[in-house]
Amino acid sequence: MSTMIKVEHLTKAFPGTVAVDDVSFEVQAGEIVGFLGPNGAGKTTTMRILCGYIAPTSGVVEIAGHDVLRDSQAARRNIGYLPENCPLYPEMRVDDYLFFRGRLKGLSGRSCRQRLSEVKELCGLEEMGHRIIGNLSKGYRQRVGLADALIAAPPLLILDEPTIGLDPNQIREVRALIRGLAQQHTVLLSTHILPEVEVTCDRVVIINRGRIVAADATWSLIEHASSPRMIVEVQADAVELKDRLLGLGAVKAVEIEPAGSWVRARIEGHGGMDMRPELWRFLREAGWEVREFYSEKSTLEEVFSNLTAGDEAEKAAVETVA
Amino acid sequence: MKRIWTMWSRELAAYFFSPMAYVVMIFFLVVMGFSFWLLATVLSQGVRGGPVMNELFASIFFWLTILITIPVVTMRLIAEEKKAGTLETLLTAPVRDSEVVLAKYLGALSFYIVLWLPTLSYIGIMKFFEPPDTPIDLGPMVSGYIGALLVGALYLAVGLFTSSLARNQIVAAIGCFAICCVLFLGGFLPYLVHSESVRDIATYLSSVMYMMDASRGVVDTRGIVFHLSGIVLMLFLSVKVLEWRRVV
Repeated sequence: MSTMIKVEHLTKAFPGTVAVDDVSFEVQAGEIVGFLGPNGAGKTTTMRILCGYIAPTSGVVEIAGHDVLRDSQAARRNIGYLPENCPLYPEMRVDDYLFFRGRLKGLSGRSCRQRLSEVKELCGLEEMGHRIIGNLSKGYRQRVGLADALIAAPPLLILDEPTIGLDPNQIREVRALIRGLAQQHTVLLSTHILPEVEVTCDRVVIINRGRIVAADATWSLIEHASSPRMIVEVQADAVELKDRLLGLGAVKAVEIEPAGSWVRARIEGHGGMDMRPELWRFLREAGWEVREFYSEKSTLEEVFSNLTAGDEAEKAAVETVA
Repeated sequence: MKRIWTMWSRELAAYFFSPMAYVVMIFFLVVMGFSFWLLATVLSQGVRGGPVMNELFASIFFWLTILITIPVVTMRLIAEEKKAGTLETLLTAPVRDSEVVLAKYLGALSFYIVLWLPTLSYIGIMKFFEPPDTPIDLGPMVSGYIGALLVGALYLAVGLFTSSLARNQIVAAIGCFAICCVLFLGGFLPYLVHSESVRDIATYLSSVMYMMDASRGVVDTRGIVFHLSGIVLMLFLSVKVLEWRRVV
């Protein structure tokens, strides 16, 4: 696998602020990488630098081996970019716009016409070719932007919030579209919708205040970032249950709450240990009746808020990365 | 070259999608038509022997039209794309900043030429009604058009430059109007200042003097060099503004 994006010690300072601070990461060809962070974390700035729209203050950025500053044209030819808010020329018709963009990206007239019908089909725009962009709904405009990013069949897609402002159905469609694209393209996408990242992306890079706080495979990040949790509901005495649970080696903390005539226990284990076998053995030996026994999965959302909320989170983040 | 052609055709088409273009065209044709009526009146009263073509190419109406139309034609070029965010899609496509500037300039210049096209019918009309004993001299007509093209081309380049600086179209238009006014009013320095050197320099740099000559049938290479180098300077500065924007 070759390296599609290589970012080394990238810093971008605007007057008064440092938007991106010594950021380094790599994206391999064929990966779908989610680029996450709260508003103002430096996602858009980083993406703009990758696409050559603004120049870095210091650091090196290479796209498919081409430096974005010294070999800007070659680097840009490898990228299909969908900027935040999807700017388009409102007075143009969809076909004319996409044809214009294709020609601008160096397609010949014939191959541009062919690609035009291909990307329109891919993005669900077949019926929209003669519509004026300014009259389209937000969802369709987003598709036009995506079709623009795809038209020259670039190996790398950089999508800045591709699902912002879409309704849940449209989000599902766009998500399916992006996953479909992953077979031929490398994708770097930023978004706020974390469940979307969980299902779409192989890997995530989380940025906060211009610094990378985590970069890992999505599953591994979720697994390692927080301790395992189990929920059990048994028919037992609350105090006795709590005491005996805390006696187990794998258990770190227990919260008990009554649930009718049953008792519900929320059990937190030590990180990196699977407490399920021990717990199950214990419950069987105790002879209590059990009506619920399941492990509560952390979500990327928790990981994200742990990593990006407040200063304590920053410390935790450093530990996670280490 | 292909990319310049692609951007140029979009740029020119964008003019005709906006109502502003038609307002400008109507304004332009009304004022030029009035100028032509003045010219026809002068001609019908019998020529006194002086240059008459300055009714069309060097009158206050000509300058008024140029000073008002050109900022309106150029203000949207880059400022609009900045405001709408489309500059981002444009400048992240594999195109050079210089190609973008050149294509936009050629688009505006083409629209300016389109503005003048209907006035070519004036030549036909005058030829049709010319008295057999005193035929219309086409020379001043041709040099007048060359002059109008050169002066317009310089002012359009100024407008492109102010549009590259501004984010707001109105600011771009006012900036262009201000700079063009200075260029225009500077043309009156030879009349106002009695210092020999100032008069010499101002004569070189004056679009007003240049158009007075042009409408008499004189094609002065000094004026051509001045206007062309002004255009090159303005386009160069516009490219630099776009490049500078990436760094800041």
